This record gives sequence, structure tokens and C-alpha cells, in this order.
Amino acid sequence: MRIDDVLFEHLAKLSKLKFSAKEKSKIKSELEQMLDFIRQVQEVDTEGVEPLIHLNPDGKLREDVVKVLSTKEEVLKNAPDANEDYFQVPKVLNSK
Amino acid sequence: MKTPDGYEIIIGLEIHIRLLTKSKLFVADENQFGASANANVSFITTGHPGVLPVINKEAVKMAAKMGIATNCTVQQYNYFDRKHYCYPDLPKGFQTTQDNQPICINGYLIIDGKKININRIHMEEDAGKSIHDLHPEKSMIDLNRAGTPLLELVSEPDIRSADEAADFFNLIRQTAMYINICDGNMQEGSMRCDANISIRKKGDEHFNNRVEVKNLNSVRFLKRAIEFEVKRQHTLMENGEETEQETRGYDPVKDITIMQRDKEMAHDYRYFPEPDLGPVIITDTLMNEIRSEISILPQQLEALLKKEYKLSDYDAQLITTEKPIADYYLSMLETVKSPKRAANWLNTNVREWLNDNQAGIESFPIEPGRLAELVNLIEDNSLSHHIADRQIFPEMLKNQNAELSLLIKALNLQEESSDEELKSIMEALITQFPDKFEAYQKGRKGLLGFFVGQVMRKLPESDPKQVNTYIQKYLNKEIK
Repeated sequence: MRIDDVLFEHLAKLSKLKFSAKEKSKIKSELEQMLDFIRQVQEVDTEGVEPLIHLNPDGKLREDVVKVLSTKEEVLKNAPDANEDYFQVPKVLNSK
Repeated sequence: MKTPDGYEIIIGLEIHIRLLTKSKLFVADENQFGASANANVSFITTGHPGVLPVINKEAVKMAAKMGIATNCTVQQYNYFDRKHYCYPDLPKGFQTTQDNQPICINGYLIIDGKKININRIHMEEDAGKSIHDLHPEKSMIDLNRAGTPLLELVSEPDIRSADEAADFFNLIRQTAMYINICDGNMQEGSMRCDANISIRKKGDEHFNNRVEVKNLNSVRFLKRAIEFEVKRQHTLMENGEETEQETRGYDPVKDITIMQRDKEMAHDYRYFPEPDLGPVIITDTLMNEIRSEISILPQQLEALLKKEYKLSDYDAQLITTEKPIADYYLSMLETVKSPKRAANWLNTNVREWLNDNQAGIESFPIEPGRLAELVNLIEDNSLSHHIADRQIFPEMLKNQNAELSLLIKALNLQEESSDEELKSIMEALITQFPDKFEAYQKGRKGLLGFFVGQVMRKLPESDPKQVNTYIQKYLNKEIK
């Protein structure tokens, strides 16, 4: 399956990513390979086969107990950028 | 607001309910409002690779309770999906929510005889918070709220006016508070609502484009936003224009809605089942446990108060509106002799204190049992309502622990005498002292003191002021 420019730009926009022309042609061909693989999978006759949604279907639930798993310092240390108690990111406004 | 002539208003609500679990939906981080930024954030909340999220049992129970309370079918097998969008306060790049198989489906509520259907209730995690005004070029992210559990309840487009929307929202809020799954605090955002609004010509079968007004955080704003949208869409239709299907926000200062996102930018969320979580399986045993934990619901309680305790519509409604007040009343009922009198005290004296102090009943200083005791004394005619109201109640507010009988003794209360008692004494006095009575009539007003003295001698416990006023009226022939 071909990934045309319109679809590519749509996916890039959804992911909030920008690509150079070189990156773009590389990624397009990778995406096409993935889709070809999926198409092959889709050729299998699955008539009457229940979809496998969960690999571990036991439905285990967790008791509602609070535990401190990592500290604020540890968590912020791993952030690309932080300021006092906050994660710091480029200014974003209302594009949710 | 009046529906424009020849039109019909179509409203559906999406209500977000923040659950009162101790920990987050998929991780043991604390679920707490108002903590210092990023205090309740672990590597699972930040969405680091390789972590293992596990579903919170309590959140599942709460969701099922809400479903049962709103006549839904609880799907004992349901699961989570990923909803993809990119925003810095959504650390994983997707929200874990329920799209394909929500926990509850096909419910309804009946309000004033009208059925409003509920499409679904699903569980989902909240996002973090972005703060844009701390830095000129940067946004600050606080992930405390990220991953906290929400329910989203989606109604069918069965609502036909702003008032109906408000009633529906209020009953959902009441219900969530009665089953203890949400604190109902609108100021802190514990409940938020999106309204889908459109209008159509009466008799039309099809729906016109609808506008979604997002993030309404009070019932008043919900009503105002609907009223504004109906007016705006009505004007468009009257001018032969079509309403755009778009997302709008409500500006409470200007009292208008503003376009936020048009349909060109409509989202493509690429939902698929969340592979890092197992399915939610609610066993029959768990279902029974959930059912057993639901106590009385607001509409049931209101009906009960009217039927069993003969309260008026007004009293029953006022008492059941807020769960804590209903609980206070139910505690009073354990010992009070007159439910009606108890309701009066709660809806006047107590409510007045709550209003004056801008406080909730949790901070009201008189325990329900003590108030019941006071109400019983009035019921037994041991106290007049007047004295209970003016003297003892204020004293009880001040002395929270003093025993009521001691409090009354300490006040050295002067009992009000009944008018009939006073009247018969006066009649006897006039027969005994006809000359003094005549002299008073002729202008010797100083003789008032003589009569008051005589009466006080006979009724030493009575309130002199009251006796004085009564006798003056009597002598002036203002009393027949």
C-alpha cells in the first residue's frame, strides 16, 4: 500500500512531528513495508475465530492502596527539562 | 428561558465524575487534590517504558455502583482502549479510556415523570495540568492529576431544555454523592460537564449539526451556555444559515460561547485495545459485594420521607439535595419524636446557620442527637418554640458539650405564660379592683405597675416583659 503525502502529513500532524525531505522518504517506505506486512496477515482466513484482545485474560485487579514508588526528585531528574517542581516544556496553548 | 416558537431543543450531556479512590486508576500513586506539584507522580504515571500498570479494583466498583444507581447494565466483561493525541500533560501520548466495551451501558433516570436515557458510563484516566502563566516562553506541567480515575457518563440526546439539563446534572451529582464515589465539589472540578446542543424545527425527524460546549463547571454555566447557544443557533436558522458542527467554550464573564475547534480539525484518535492491561472481569461475587454497598438513593429517600414521615415536597427535597444534610436528618430520626418538626428545624434554623457561616453541615456545631433532644422538648411542651429558638439554640451553638438540661437550668429561663392564663388572672383582678381599673381608664397610666405586680406575684416564673406588654394591651382594651 502506498503512503501518499496527504496521509503522511496527516500522521505527522497528529504526532506533532516535523520531518526533512530525506527523513520523509525513508519513513514513508518503512510505513509502506509495515502496511504490506499487515496486508499479508489480513489474508489469513479468520472466519469464526474470536479476536485475541488480551494476552493475559485473567482480569487481575489491584487493591486501592497508596504506595510511594518513586520520589519527585527521581521523576524530575529523568525529565528533559524541569523547573522547580514542574516539568518544563515549550509554550503550548489550546491546541488540545 | 422559552424555547423559540416552532423549534425543539436537543441536548445530550457528557458528565465527568472524579472518583474518590485513594490511589490512581492504574498505579498506587496517591489520588489527592491540592498536593504540591508532581508530588504524586511515579514512573508509571510518567509513562516510562516497561512499567506495569494494574487496574484499581475500587475504581471498578465505583463505576459499577454508578451504573447500578442509574439503571444501567453492568458489563461484567469490559476493557480499556488507548485514545491517542499529543499534548504535554498527557505523558504517554494516549489516554487510557474505554471506547469499545464500556463498563456500563443502557441506563436511564426518570425526572418528574420523564425518562432520560443514558448511553454509557465508562472509566478513564484524567490528564495532568498545564500552567501557562508562570514563564514567558515555557509551559509548566504538573502530573499529579495524570492517571487519576474519572467516570464519563454520556446521556442520550433526550434533554429538551436548560432546566431539564440542570435537573439531570443535579441528580447525577446527588447520586454520585449518595453512593460515595465523588465529593461533588464543583469548585475543585470534581464534576465537569460537556453539553451537545442543537435545535430543530418541531416535527423534524433528523438532527441538525450540534455544537459541543466543553468544560462547564457549574450548573449555572451549563444553563447559561445552553441558553446562549439556543439563541445563537435560532438566529442562524432564521437567517437561513447552517450551524457549524464545532467545539465551543463558555466565557462566564461575557456570557457567550466561543469557537475552540472547528470540524476541519476534528480529531483522529486511532483507538485500539490497551495491550498493557488485562480485561476487567467482574465476577458474580464481586457484583454482589458492589450491590450490597449501595445504600439508599436520593429519589428513593425523597419518596420515603414523603410517604413514611409525611414531609412536604419542599422539606423532602431540601433535605435530600445534599447527602450530608440527608445523613444529618436520618441521624435525628433515630431519636426524634416529630419528623416534621425536625425537618422544620433543619430547614430553617440549621440552614440559616449554614448560610450565615458559608459552611457545610460537617462543621455545624450541634450533633444531630442533641438537636433531636431539643426538638423533643418542644414536642413535649416542656419548652416553647420561642424560647428554644431565641435562647437555647444560640446557647447550644456556643456550648457544644454542655448537657442540654444543665444548659437550660443555667439560663434560668423565664417561661412564657400563655395568653389565656394571663387573661383569666386579669379578669379576676378587675373584679377585685374595679376602681383601679376605672382610674387607669381615666388616665392614671401609672397604675400599670400595680397590675403587673399583682400578676407577677401569681406567676413568678413568667417573663416580666411579656407580662408587661400583655397587660398594657389588655388595659387599653386591645385584647378582646
